[in-house]
Amino acid sequence: MSWNCTQTEERLSDFLDGRMEREESAEFSAHAAGCTECATLLRQVGGLVTEMKAIEPLPVPAPLVRKILGATLGERTPQHGWKRMFGWVPILWTPRFAMGAVTVAAVLAIVLNTTGLTPKKLKRADLSPVNIARSANRQFHLAYARSAKFVNDLRVVYEIQSALQRTPEPPASTNPDPEPKSESPSGAPDQKSQTAPRPRSQVRNSPMLAFVMMCEFTRSPR
Amino acid sequence: MEPDAQLVQHCLRGDGPAWEELVKRHTRRVYNLCYRFTGNSAEAEDLSQEVFLRIYRTLASYQEAFGGFPTWLTSVTRNLLVDHYRRTRRDRVTDSLDDAMPVLEEKHSSARAPDKLAQAAELSVQLQRGLARLSPELREAVILRDLQGLEYNEVQVILQVPEGTVKSRINRGRIELARILGEMGVRPD
Repeated sequence: MSWNCTQTEERLSDFLDGRMEREESAEFSAHAAGCTECATLLRQVGGLVTEMKAIEPLPVPAPLVRKILGATLGERTPQHGWKRMFGWVPILWTPRFAMGAVTVAAVLAIVLNTTGLTPKKLKRADLSPVNIARSANRQFHLAYARSAKFVNDLRVVYEIQSALQRTPEPPASTNPDPEPKSESPSGAPDQKSQTAPRPRSQVRNSPMLAFVMMCEFTRSPR
Repeated sequence: MEPDAQLVQHCLRGDGPAWEELVKRHTRRVYNLCYRFTGNSAEAEDLSQEVFLRIYRTLASYQEAFGGFPTWLTSVTRNLLVDHYRRTRRDRVTDSLDDAMPVLEEKHSSARAPDKLAQAAELSVQLQRGLARLSPELREAVILRDLQGLEYNEVQVILQVPEGTVKSRINRGRIELARILGEMGVRPD
């Protein structure tokens, strides 16, 4: 294939940008080496492309970014004095910050309660890891002992209460009913007498007693 | 650095600092594109502002599948530039930028010799004048490829034209620009 000047001009950018097959590139170069006009064109355009790629971008005019931000986000006047110093205060009212603060406070309260530290009586020695561990251990055992004692007291109360409730069966009445029973015409027993409540025992009528006993047990010194 | 897509999600949830970060990150790209296309710094500033205003309003329509946030941003910028070009075509007597204030590039590399710096700045100004004489189709193709450094497929997505058209526009744009600069007496080689 014989390469000509028209092809050289048409494929000039492909050659300069390295978008040619090796064979085509060799034919292009061979033609340009032998043709003065094509060699000049290649040198001029090649030089121009190199120069253009080397040109650094223009710097952005200083107020342009500010203008763009003003046109899109709105004008933002720089704050001075106390407004600048306390510009962060509105952040405190945002829900995200408030939630974070509440969470931190809750965690702190739990940790202090668990370790048994009191902020008012806090000493430097209390902050050592050994003392914190000891205090936490003590708090844990105290809490465990209290709960065990409470359960035990409750068990005793329930046992007493159930013992008192186990009342004997009411004695069977030997006296004939002074009032004559009115028999129903159909001969069925009287429903009123069947559903009548049993007389309560004396203990069951006084639930206050169980409550007072429970109080007495739980009020025992720790 | 947080990816653009993540910043966009934050912006959609009303995160102001995320939007600020997005603006700071991409203003230079947008401003340069606008300046290279219009050749006027004041116009480029106004257009950049308009681009970000449009982006801010249509941020919910951005989809990552489109080809990344920078490509989407460039596409929006390009569409706005085309609109602007059509709107102001009647007002323009000539495409010449001789009246425009030349903006010299600020070179950050201190290793460059002063004469090299001056040479590069002069070339940039001449290049801007040459670009202004290109047709809008060829100009945008050259700017996107050689000054914004985009790949062919990215240019294709932004211009919404077939790949062959992209290749043809970039090639013709470069040749035409080299010819114009040659006429102006600028020899980049």
